Amino acid sequence: MRGMEGEMLKGHLDLIVLAALSPGPAHGYAVIEEIRRRSANRFNLAEGTVYPALHRLEESGLLSSRWLVADNGRRRRVYALTRRGMRSLAQQRAVWDEFAIAIGGLLGASPRASAT
Amino acid sequence: MIPEFAEALAGRLGFDRSLSRAVRQEVEDHLWEAAAAELTDDPLEAQRRAIAKFGDPRAIAREIAAVALARSARRLGVAAMLVIAIVFIAMKARLTWYAMAHWPPLDRMAWLGAWVASIDRYAFWSAVCASVVGWLYVSRQRAPANGCVVDGRRVRRFLILCWGATSALIASVLSDGVLTSLRLAFAADLADWSIPIVSMVIEIGCAIALVVCVRGIARRATYGAQAG
Repeated sequence: MRGMEGEMLKGHLDLIVLAALSPGPAHGYAVIEEIRRRSANRFNLAEGTVYPALHRLEESGLLSSRWLVADNGRRRRVYALTRRGMRSLAQQRAVWDEFAIAIGGLLGASPRASAT
Repeated sequence: MIPEFAEALAGRLGFDRSLSRAVRQEVEDHLWEAAAAELTDDPLEAQRRAIAKFGDPRAIAREIAAVALARSARRLGVAAMLVIAIVFIAMKARLTWYAMAHWPPLDRMAWLGAWVASIDRYAFWSAVCASVVGWLYVSRQRAPANGCVVDGRRVRRFLILCWGATSALIASVLSDGVLTSLRLAFAADLADWSIPIVSMVIEIGCAIALVVCVRGIARRATYGAQAG
């Protein structure tokens, strides 16, 4: 799945981050862990790339954040989906599902069958 | 090793101290957690691996700077319109005061008054147009998505509109100053000066505030472009 590490992954980073936050609020490292876990380690992002995405989504009103003090005493920024973020995720998920079905249909058809 | 890396990344966002501090804390928290998860007994090696997995600090700083710049630009777009609205209210309040206090119209030097008033009118409405266009332009702009660099052309165009609005507003406020001075020069009753003076102070304050805000964003844009 090396191909997924490049531009293809970057192009869907916002959706990936929103999906990773759908179970509940999380900080940046936990978001990356969730992405790895749910993608069965297929998505091997440079970890720092999620932070611009988190900031951008917060700026767009799709996420909110608050600072907490973690058990280790460090200040930690925790992000959560807003209602707008949940709606956006649902919309993007529906679009993605349709796209996946369409691409699946195209790639699933054999060249001979398509020619006839 | 981790504090130095976080400091280096945050240092690229030095144009915004609170953003820089927040990013440093966030990145440091991330890296310490990542280092703790590394399967090695050597703490330095764990830190080195965590940093290696984090990615290019220049690219990350550049993207975060782009998000911050887009946010600041949108705020400036709204602030510019608010400032111009306050100037308009101050201007109208002064004119209403003249009417209520039965100040005589400018008889002497009426030609100068009419000439300056037309400059005032055109300058003010130019400021309104430039600020509305700037606000529309910037409110449609979203932070560059997924690894794009700062769109320097968009920021430059927005700043040109902001400087245009600011220059026009300054011309309008200066014209107001000339008109008010002409009125005051021929006013006999000193007690009536308070409202025109206060309204002019408000207008001048607004113009200065707008210059400071636009300069601030211009500086951010310059530093933001250098963040990478």
